Formats: sequence, structure tokens, C-alpha cells
Amino acid sequence: MSKSKSSKSNGTPSYPSRRSLLKGSAGALATGLTAATWQPAAAQKRGGTLKVSNGGDPPDFDVHQTATFLTQFIGAPCYSTLMKVDPDNPDRLIPDLAEKAEVSADGRTVTLQLRKGVVFHNGSALTAEDVVYSLNRIKSPPKGIVSPRKGLLGNVEEIRADGALGVTIRLAHPQPDFLMLVSNPFNVIVSRAVAEPLDAQGQGVKRQVVGTGPFRLTQAVDGQYYELTRFDRYFGQGPMLDRIQFFPIRGEVERGAALQSRRIDACFFFANEAVLDPLRKVQGVTALRRPTPTFINLIPNVTRKPFDDPRVREALSLAIDRDAFIRTVGPLAGAFFHSRGLMPPGSPYSLTPQEIKAFGGYDSLPGLGGDVAENRKRAIALLEQAGVPKGSKMVILARGDVPAFRDSAINVAGQLKQIGLDVTVDIRDAGAFYKMETGGDFQLVTHSVAMGGASVDQILGEGYTSYGGRNYGMWKDDTLDKLYSEQSRELDPAKRVQMVRRFQLEFLKTYYQINLAWVGYGAAHLNTVQGWKALNDLYANMQMDRVWLNA
Amino acid sequence: MSALLPSMADTPRLTRRTLQAAREQPLGAFGAVVLVVMAVLAIGAPWIAPYDPTEGNAALLNAPPSAAHWLGTDPFGRDMLSRLIHGARVSLLVGLGASLLGVCTGAAIGLVTSYRGGWADTIAQRLMDALLAFPMLLLALALAAVLGPSLPNVIVALSLPIVPRAARIARSSVLVLKASPLVEAAIVAGCSDLRIIVRHILPNTFAPLLVIATAYLGLAIVQEAALDYLGAGIQEPHPSWGLMMAGPATSLALTAPWVVVFPGLAICLTVLASNLLGDAIRDLTDPRLRGR
Amino acid sequence: MLDFIARRLAIGLITLIGVATITFFLMRVLPGDAAVMLSGAGAGAISEQELAEVRSKMGLDRPLAVQFGAWIGELAHLNLGLSLRTGQPVASEIARRFPYTLQIVVMAMVIAVALGVPAGLLSAARAGSWLDQTLRALSVGGLAAPSFWVGLLIILGLVWLFKWSPPLFWEPFWVSPWQSITQLIWPAIAVGIRQLALIARMTRSIMLEVLGEDYIRTARAKGLSEKVVVLRHGLRNGLLPVVTLIGFEVSALFGGLIVTEAVFNVPGLGQYVVTAILNRDYPAAQGIVLILAGIVVLGNLTVDLLYGWLDPRTRIQVSR
Repeated sequence: MSKSKSSKSNGTPSYPSRRSLLKGSAGALATGLTAATWQPAAAQKRGGTLKVSNGGDPPDFDVHQTATFLTQFIGAPCYSTLMKVDPDNPDRLIPDLAEKAEVSADGRTVTLQLRKGVVFHNGSALTAEDVVYSLNRIKSPPKGIVSPRKGLLGNVEEIRADGALGVTIRLAHPQPDFLMLVSNPFNVIVSRAVAEPLDAQGQGVKRQVVGTGPFRLTQAVDGQYYELTRFDRYFGQGPMLDRIQFFPIRGEVERGAALQSRRIDACFFFANEAVLDPLRKVQGVTALRRPTPTFINLIPNVTRKPFDDPRVREALSLAIDRDAFIRTVGPLAGAFFHSRGLMPPGSPYSLTPQEIKAFGGYDSLPGLGGDVAENRKRAIALLEQAGVPKGSKMVILARGDVPAFRDSAINVAGQLKQIGLDVTVDIRDAGAFYKMETGGDFQLVTHSVAMGGASVDQILGEGYTSYGGRNYGMWKDDTLDKLYSEQSRELDPAKRVQMVRRFQLEFLKTYYQINLAWVGYGAAHLNTVQGWKALNDLYANMQMDRVWLNA
Repeated sequence: MSALLPSMADTPRLTRRTLQAAREQPLGAFGAVVLVVMAVLAIGAPWIAPYDPTEGNAALLNAPPSAAHWLGTDPFGRDMLSRLIHGARVSLLVGLGASLLGVCTGAAIGLVTSYRGGWADTIAQRLMDALLAFPMLLLALALAAVLGPSLPNVIVALSLPIVPRAARIARSSVLVLKASPLVEAAIVAGCSDLRIIVRHILPNTFAPLLVIATAYLGLAIVQEAALDYLGAGIQEPHPSWGLMMAGPATSLALTAPWVVVFPGLAICLTVLASNLLGDAIRDLTDPRLRGR
Repeated sequence: MLDFIARRLAIGLITLIGVATITFFLMRVLPGDAAVMLSGAGAGAISEQELAEVRSKMGLDRPLAVQFGAWIGELAHLNLGLSLRTGQPVASEIARRFPYTLQIVVMAMVIAVALGVPAGLLSAARAGSWLDQTLRALSVGGLAAPSFWVGLLIILGLVWLFKWSPPLFWEPFWVSPWQSITQLIWPAIAVGIRQLALIARMTRSIMLEVLGEDYIRTARAKGLSEKVVVLRHGLRNGLLPVVTLIGFEVSALFGGLIVTEAVFNVPGLGQYVVTAILNRDYPAAQGIVLILAGIVVLGNLTVDLLYGWLDPRTRIQVSR
């Protein structure tokens, strides 16, 4: 992939895209060009039903309002976004609904040109009004509708339709990451005519799916199965499949067994290694695990003593043997990966080993040769200095139904005991957990943060700013917020890299959140399933438009 | 009535009667012995268990049974045997606590309200009926979610379904005994209600209540395990038999079956023991069977 | 007799109202609410203001007494309300899942009676023999095993031995009866083991009592064969308590059912009620608990009526 930036003759600079998580090289996005559309090869067969096991029932079908892959996996084939990640080259964006995207010279105006002749599943034509409504719905949801990702469009000042097929977006500040953010797999385009009346009732498009995607929802039997059928008037190439059926199977063991016995063709979500590993050895099955932009952090509530003292927070970080954490929680929840800094594993923004070792406890990452015993001695000393007596009781809040949350908390509790703290875990069901977490009703919490997408602004903006959606610990720091805004607007890629690295160094000093590991989710499918590629972003490339069955 | 009701001063006689009872009811004796062993393990856990039950050895995750770890290790590398021994504490506490709390509360309600009769009796009866109509687990699940999953809260949550059943038993006992000449004489003699209940009715209710207490000891332990399985149970990293089977254990059951099998066996054994004991007590104290 | 029935019905109704009240307030005391659960919280902090708006749209911000009154009003019209999660009528959701739960219960009871009664009879007839001891030990064991652990072991055994995998689609009985029976047999076994043990034990102890009665001695003295004695004379009187037991055990059955459905992933009422409680879907949870409790009350009522019909002595009210 070329490292140079291409600059077009009309003075519109192109922006560095999200870095490749696998190759660690920078790439350039040609935003103004219409990428060549993918054509199915002659050998690919049309037809057939793809049977997928989902990890449970989706609570509803409203992709904007949801946070769970259960909904997104079913919604993705039915909807389109403005642009999407190129499966063959995840650095690049290729057009989906937007044929062209141009950014003005000052970086503050984005002009989108929509494709002609796109229709929704109900036959109505896609217009710019639908795009405007959808983006506004994400950015400032109507009353009674929630939008967990509205921070992604936080930089947007105004969205306007320009004629039937043109959309103009005005940004408050230039933002190189903007196109990636707006193309997040969850930011689908819904039909205004369908969504608006439902939103007015406060319901949202929870039970209807009317999109522009390659499949449409034809059957939904709660607790049993969900069926998507090919949409014959899809604007793109493909899809090859006739139908996709989703079966909610909650237990991982049962999912693995169903795949092995070939009752289902694929499962796109495995966490537990004990289930995934045997699948790797089965003939005719492809099983894999890749790093996803999901990180597990220990989050202290800085509004409560003694966590307002940075020495205490540093002590917590020093106490953790991250290598042991990964070796234990990895097989249970997929937390096999780690990175140096706040960005995903292999990111070009990663810090050097020297740099990360400077922060308490991070030298216990695999391969960095830290002395855990020494670290823990230092931690005990810091606790003494801060006036935290031996045997102090602390409680880690955890969510019981997701292994990544629960098992991390259990492991961390055991480790914190080594520095003389009496730590227990308070495991709650999701409802009580969220209430306590968002209400600040906790001392410590281990949270597994799954980002759809790995652009800098998404990860740092959501996870590491005072106003970001993931600031459960309720810290406030103007310096960090300022550093974040600066890098968000920086158009020069080289300068930006420096700023991002500086941000990370500044943040890590504060120990507002203590990074433990990164999670990678597994997937497995029969070899008869062709054309699907696992991207690092768990939610990307789930439209199934290029998938075919070699039956 | 009860040959087992001990007169505390008479130890040699007590021992002789107990041994005789044990000979008559070998299964019950077995049950009693098992429970005693469990209790000893539970109390002496810190000294008996070979390892710290909360300390994980990251090098030995899901290790099969071996010389170093007789029953293998769990997904966190913690020794199964030690966790089972410590788990006896929690499970027995929950079982005993819930069962005793439920029986005492229920008996108290049943005795007092049915002896008094009238409105108190009717209201209590309807309330107990309503509680009885709830599937036990749902009540416990909702309560545990409300109160938060700490040990005392789980005990309270699991005792609630036992209350109406104990109340019913107490009530039937009162109805029978109230008409008996002994009680009538006591009323005539001017004894207070409380005195009558405690001195005349309660001792005769003791045996069936004991039977139900042992029956529900087992059930409470099982319900606690079910609560953990559904995600509303006791906190980690405290070991409890039910908790050991929940979570990562179920996914790993195929490759590391000892993680799931042993805690279940422990529960089985304990419940078996308490049921056998309950049976034996009932056999020994049931006047109809004593003639055989 | 009519008076008896009427009294019993009235009591049943009052009980149901009590259940409804307890359920309603119990649900509302749960921390967190449907708004928190359904707002997809976890992807980012949803502001309290947004949550308040969601609650308001769901009608959750009205005073509790008002909400309770509204619900009771709906119940009076036999309307169970709309699920907060799916927006569908609770009644139709229940109707869709009820057949599976019912089928498991029926199959479990059939297994329990078909195996339990003969086992108990055999045990009683051969009291004291090694057969009796073995059967007794087995039944105590059956009582002791947690039903979901049994279910887990069954699944593991099936996967390991027969490479079994769970059904993708659970056939309703009226569509393909044989298919649905073979699918639901496993959860039915897991649930039924406890009932089997109880019935075997009860049958045994009842039969032992009965066999010592005078009229049995008479029948034996008359020269009737042992089989006739046991079956015709003993069974008729012994069966009543068994029926009573079944009636009273319905409640415990549902408890075991709930976890077992979770283990086997059966889309029945048990699984639905757990999901409803965990998701704070109040109308659904309230509706299901009411239905389940209603069944229990109905079961008790039937048993009472059966008793009243079969044994006239119980019809006489013990005067207070």
C-alpha cells in the first residue's frame, strides 16, 4: 500500500485513513474517486441459505439505538451506510450510498453525492432527506430515542440536503477522521418516512427493518429464528445468497456443537477459547480469532476517596500483572491481546516499549520483562504514602452476564489482594450494573469497552476525554481535553502522530483508567462458506453481500 | 411423642438412644455423619484446605486432577479441592441459614395466627397461599436482584419460599392440638396464650418442622446454585458450590468436566445426606410407624 | 357441595390478587429499569435526561399507585398489556411460548408417574429387600440432584457420546408430534427426575400404610391373589395422596423448569420470565408470574375439589 498522500489538482487534500491494524502501515484514502465496484467471479455460485448462530435474541432491530452485536449482525445486511470499509483493504473507505465524498480546503465542509436509483425495501426511493434525517437522528436523537454513538458526530454543526441526491455537512472544526466516523457500521441510513412517525411515539424502528441493504427482514420469531431474504432491487453487486437465517443460541458450547455437526454454517462471535480451539482442529471448518478494538480497563471512580489520589491509582496499576491477566482471562473472554498505549494492538500510534515501561505496572505486559514483585512493593509504598491502610476494603463492580467483564473483575480482585487490599467483586445483572455504573455508584469497575471502529477520534474521543461517553470514572481534565481537540483538527499527518502519542503519554500519567488488555473475538464457519473476511472491527463487513455457498 | 427430644442432663441415656436410633435407621445415620463431616470441613476450612481458594495459578489453568491438585484446577487456576472445602462453608451457611430462618419465621407466624384465629388467621393464610403460589426460584431471583447478591441477602431471599410451608405445618399442628384435652385444661387453668403455644404446642410440632427443615436445607442449597446459574448469586471470589458451576465452567465442561462435575456432586451428596436424615427423623418420630 | 366450590373459588381469586400485588411491587423495587436496559447503555453513558424521556414514553414515570391501578384495570379486561421490550402484546408472547413449557411439564409428569408409581409399588411389595433398598437409594438420589446440573450432564453426555447438537428450531407439537417429543424429552427428563423420585417415595410409603390396613388383611384372608390385593384395593386408596402431591408440586416443578429451560435453550415460559425479570420488562414479568401462579392456584383448587369429591369428610368445615 502506498505511503504517499495523493493530492488532487483542485486543491482538495485527501486525509490519512484509519491505520491498518494488521500491517501497521499508513495508507491514503482516495475519497474523491469512485472505487471500482466489486464483481463476483464466474466461479461463484448463486443461491442457498446461510445458517448463522447468533449469541442470543436481539433486543430490537434499531441499529442506531443499540450497542449489541446481536442487533447489528442482523441489521447490517439490511442497511447501508454512506461509505464502508473496504474488506480487502481496511484502511480505505469505499462508496456505499455515497458515490463521492469531497472535503473542502479548510476541512470544514463535506459534500456527499448519493447514488442514483437506490430504493428502500418498501420500494420508496432514497433521497438526501433520508440521509439528513438519519444523521440528525444519530447526532441529536428525538425525545425518547437514545443514541449511544452521538459523540461520533459531535463535531457536526449542520447537515443539509442539496437537491435530491446531495448532502452537505458543515463541521465546527476540520477533522481528518470524520469520514471514518460517519461511516461507522452502526451509522446506517434509515427511511425518514418510516422512522419519523415511530420516533414521534418514542418507539423508534425497533420492530421494523426498512433499509437499502442487500437483504430484507422477512421473518422474526423471538426466541426461535430470524430470516433475511435477498432484496432483488439492491443497488450494488450481489448478493449471492438467497437467504440468511439467524438462530439465537445462547451457550457457546452449544454453538460450537451446532457448527461441528454442520447444523449451522457459521458463527461470528466466539469468546471462549475452550470452544474455539477444538473447532480449529475440525476438518472443513475455518476458525479464527483476531484482535478487535475492544479493550478492558480498570476504572476507579475519582469522585470517591481514596481514588482521587493519583498515587492510589498508580498503586492499582502497579499491582496488576498484565501477563498473568492475559493468560488467565484470555482463554475465558478472548483477552489475548495487548497494546502499548491507548490505541489498538499494532497501531502506528503505539508507544515504544521504553515509553510504556515508564508507567507503573505496564512493564508487566507480555515481553516487556517487568518485575511484578518489585512493582507490588512500590504499590504498597505508594498506598502507605497516600494513607490507605493495609486491609482497606474495596469493591469492584462487574457485570455478570458477559465473561469479559466478570472474569476480569475476578482476576483483578485476586491480584489487588497481593498489595494488601481486601477486594471483593460485586457481580450484578445488566440492569442493576448499568444503573450503578452510570450513576457513579461504585468504587472500581472493570469495563470491557467495544468500539465499532478504531479511528483515533473514536477511541480517544469516546474513551479518554472528560465528556466522552465512556467516562464512567467521572474525571475532568482540561489539559487532556485540549490535547484531544488539537489532534482531532490536525490536518498534517506527521504532526498528528506526534500529538496522539503525546496525548497518550499525558493520559497514562493520570491513571484515570488503567488498561489491562485487549480482546479479540473469534469466528468460525464451514469451508463451504466463501467470500467472508474477518476484519478487526467486529461490526464491519457484516453485510454478507459477497458471501456465497460452495455447496 | 419424640424419642429424640433430648433431656439435656441425661447424657448416657441420650447416647444410648441415639445409637439405638442409628442402628434402626442406618441411612439416616449415614446422612447425619456426612453432614457432620461437611460441617467440620466448613468450620475447619482454612486449616484443612491445601491451597488458598482465591489464589489462581496462571500456569495451571483447567488442569486435570493430579498429585498436586487432587481434583484439578478451575479456569482461573484455583485448586478445586480447596474451593470445594471452602465452598462447603458458604453452601452450608446458605442452606442452614435459609432453612432455619424460613422455618422459624414460618412456624412463628403459623403458630401465633392460627392459635389466635379470626382475622389474623385468615389474612395470614391468604398471604401464605399467595407466597406458596410463587415458583420458589422466581421469588428468590427477584429478591436477590432487589437486595443485591450478598450472602445475608441470599439467605433471606431463599428463606422466603420456606416460610409459607412451615407456617402450614405449624397451623395444622395447632388445629389438631387445640382441641386436645391437655390444651383445654391449660386454657381453663388460665395459662397465657404464649405459654400454651410454647409449652404445649411447640414441642409437638417440633418433629415435622425438623423434617421440613432438613428437606429445605437441601433445596436451599440447590436454589442457590440455580440463582448463580441464572446470574443473580453470591459474590466472587468467594467460593460456593453453585457459583463454581456457573460462568466459565459451563463452556469448559466438555474439555474440563471436573470443573462442573465435582461441585454438582458435592451438592448432591449434601442434599442426599440431609434428605436421608430428614427421612430417618420422620420415621423415628411418626407415631403411626412406631408400632412396626 | 356448591357452597364448598364457591368458597374455594373465592379463596383462589383472593390469592391471585395477592400474587398480583406482590409481583407488581416486587418488580418495581428492582434497581435499574426498562429504560436503562433498553437504552443500549454500555456503548456510552446515556444522559439521565434522555433516560427520563424514555421512561416517560414508556409510562414509567407515573406514580406507582397509578401504574398499579392501570395494570389491575387491564387485567379486569383480560389484557396483560404490552411488553416493554418488544412492544407486542404480552398475552400473545405467552401464548406462543406456553405450549413448549406445557409439553415439558406434561412429559415430565408422564415419565414421573409411569416410572415412579410402579417403582413405588414394587418397593412396597418387596419392602426390606435389596431391590427396595436400591430403589429407595435411587429415589433419594434423584431428589438430591439439582435439576439444572442433571440437564448439564445430559447435554454433555449427548454431545460427547452422540455428537448431539441442540435443535435449531423447536417444533410445536401440532406441527410434528414425534419430532417435538424427541426434542423435548431431554429437558423433560431433567425436570422429571425429582418428581419421579418423589412419586416413587410417596407411593411406597402410602402403599406400606395401606397394605397394613384391615381391609387389605380381609382381602388376603378372602384368598385373593397378592396382585389383586395390591392393585385393586391398595392402589385406589393410595392414589389420592399421589394426586395431591402432583397438585402441590406444580410450583416446585416450575422452579426446576425455569433453570432447565435456560440450560437447554428451550423457548418456553421459564426462559421468557427470566429474560423479562433481567430486562426489567415489567408487564411481561408480571403477566407470566401471574399465569404461573394462576396455574398453581388452579392446581391446588383442583386437588381440593378432588379431595372434596372423593372424601366427603373433608367437605365438613372445621368450625372456628
